[in-house]
Amino acid sequence: MTTPLLEIEDLYARVCDKEIVKGFNLTINEGEVHAVMGPNGAGKSTLSNILCGKPGYEVTSGSVRFKGKDLLAMSPEERAREGIFLAMQYPVEIPGVPVTTFLKHAVNAIRKHRGEPELDTMDFVKMVREEGRRFRLDAEMIKRPVNVGFSGGEKKRLEALQMAVLKPDFAILDEADSGLDIDALKVVADGVGALRDGKRSMLIITHFQRLLDHIVPDFVHVYADGRIVKSGGRELAAELEEKGYAEFERAK
Amino acid sequence: MSGLLQQISLPGGQIPWLDEMRRRGRAAFEAAGIPTAKTEAWKYTKPRELGGDDFVLSLPRPDLRAPQPELPFAAYRIYFENGIFNPAQSVLPQGVEVLPLIEVIMFRPRERALINAALRLEDFPFAALNSAYLNEGVFIHVDSRVELKRPLAVIYHTDSAEQNLFYNLRNLILLEEYAAAELIEYHCYDGALKSRYLANIVNEVYLRRGACLRHYKVQNEAFKANHIALNYVDAAAGAAYKAFCLQKGANIARNETHVLLKEEGASAEVNGAYLMNGWATLDTTTDIEHLAPCTVSHQLVKGVIGGDAKGVFQGRIHIAPGAVRTEGNQLHKALLLSDTAEVDVKPELEIFADDVKCSHGAASGELDEEQLFYMRSRGIGEEEARRLLIDAYLDDAISKIEDEKVAAWIKLMAK
Repeated sequence: MTTPLLEIEDLYARVCDKEIVKGFNLTINEGEVHAVMGPNGAGKSTLSNILCGKPGYEVTSGSVRFKGKDLLAMSPEERAREGIFLAMQYPVEIPGVPVTTFLKHAVNAIRKHRGEPELDTMDFVKMVREEGRRFRLDAEMIKRPVNVGFSGGEKKRLEALQMAVLKPDFAILDEADSGLDIDALKVVADGVGALRDGKRSMLIITHFQRLLDHIVPDFVHVYADGRIVKSGGRELAAELEEKGYAEFERAK
Repeated sequence: MSGLLQQISLPGGQIPWLDEMRRRGRAAFEAAGIPTAKTEAWKYTKPRELGGDDFVLSLPRPDLRAPQPELPFAAYRIYFENGIFNPAQSVLPQGVEVLPLIEVIMFRPRERALINAALRLEDFPFAALNSAYLNEGVFIHVDSRVELKRPLAVIYHTDSAEQNLFYNLRNLILLEEYAAAELIEYHCYDGALKSRYLANIVNEVYLRRGACLRHYKVQNEAFKANHIALNYVDAAAGAAYKAFCLQKGANIARNETHVLLKEEGASAEVNGAYLMNGWATLDTTTDIEHLAPCTVSHQLVKGVIGGDAKGVFQGRIHIAPGAVRTEGNQLHKALLLSDTAEVDVKPELEIFADDVKCSHGAASGELDEEQLFYMRSRGIGEEEARRLLIDAYLDDAISKIEDEKVAAWIKLMAK
């Protein structure tokens, strides 16, 4: 019944000769939502960057399989086309490239990979506008250059909009709630929550519990010093919120 | 035949004053010689090997009928084949003349007097060389208060076969008081890629009081060709010169724009973009002289340099004594796509008046890795992502073009 989508086995990785990930293991099955929680500076973002193939990270041992394929052998664009999406903690500004142009290239690259025809521009713009409304990004904003002049909350909503348009099989939300006020958090959480369809899997990386009140995870893992130190159900998040991470940091 | 100075018989050679005009050019070129690295104005752009090349002067060839390139907008067309004016052209509206230059030289002394009127040939060796062959080119004349509804497109099409063609063109462009026109220059080619033809073009532009010329150019010569162009602009009170030049072809090319803002309220916009690879040297040189109060100039030039190519930007803003309340801005930016790409920049501000606003800036950088990764993480391939970022980089410069159809065309040409 359970089909593994992502299998991370005994992963070790470093950045600038510093070992950051030290024996990480995690399997995510189709349709599951996992949360990885941990103290700041534990290397949570390193993990998401490695999964998406960001240059500058060196995997020294271990393996990552996505849909049974060797993920680490793929370029960042191949990973995205296979169905991985990273909602970034710090979305990048791209002056001169309008949101619609950017997304159209992304959607068509993914469609081409799947052997589907390119979308008609009119249909595409209409679709992005409709999705935009769900994330309270109006038509004027999606004509603007990617993230340029966007507030912190608007950037996060644009990440969520991209996710809704690209429809990945596996989404990583890296601190998707940081910098969001309560209203914006709800917009993002509701939008992302609506993408939960029993097949799509998610990995939510967060420091706080509050996003998990809206997108309730199936599993919660505590990440400290480069590995998972404790796993449990959704109740673990509440426990962490109450007790903090001190116990795990001591465990280093 | 060889070399740049050849003895040929040109129309009107027996007319003493015309012979004298050419003789002056020849003498100035002989005195200056082909610029070398020691020539200050040419220290970054060496017109390599021109002295040794076996050049064949372009002569009319009745058999040459290359397909005329299409432009994606409606325009009056003026056509040059291998540097020879082809008089079959669009019907022009009333108040606009386009004549072979030689007719003006022969029969219209008032306009003839404008040729080389202010151009100091000793400072411009290629304009001097151009003057030695004074003959080919057009005179474009827009009457007072006539506003052209469509652009005048001057298409320079070169098919030099296996030869190293050499041609000199002189265009005289005169806009009378409060006239308005848009001039498009499109330099394109067909035929043997190996040919190292040399196009040497001088545009002398006179804008009378309140006249406005939008001058947009695309230089897309064959990749071993040489392209040297000088735009010499004389702007009277309230006149506006608005230029944009995209350079993407040729092995060695210079687009030089010299603007004299001679009277109060004259203004100039000299913008551009260049895009290059291989071993090319593409040079953008500007010289804006603010000679009267309340004159304004703006310059934005952006380049994208890959391979072993070299970009050159030399920009001078001169504010003469008494030219108060003037404004002169200049910005050059370059994107270097490889470790061996090079850019040489020489900005110069000379300010001899008080109460002026002047600025200049230069920056060079590489493609942003974070932006590239962001795009790739959304499925966009690396090449496509780079392409999108390069388009975006040039976008603000190209967007200075006021005619949207032309801006769209130039954006396409810059891909």
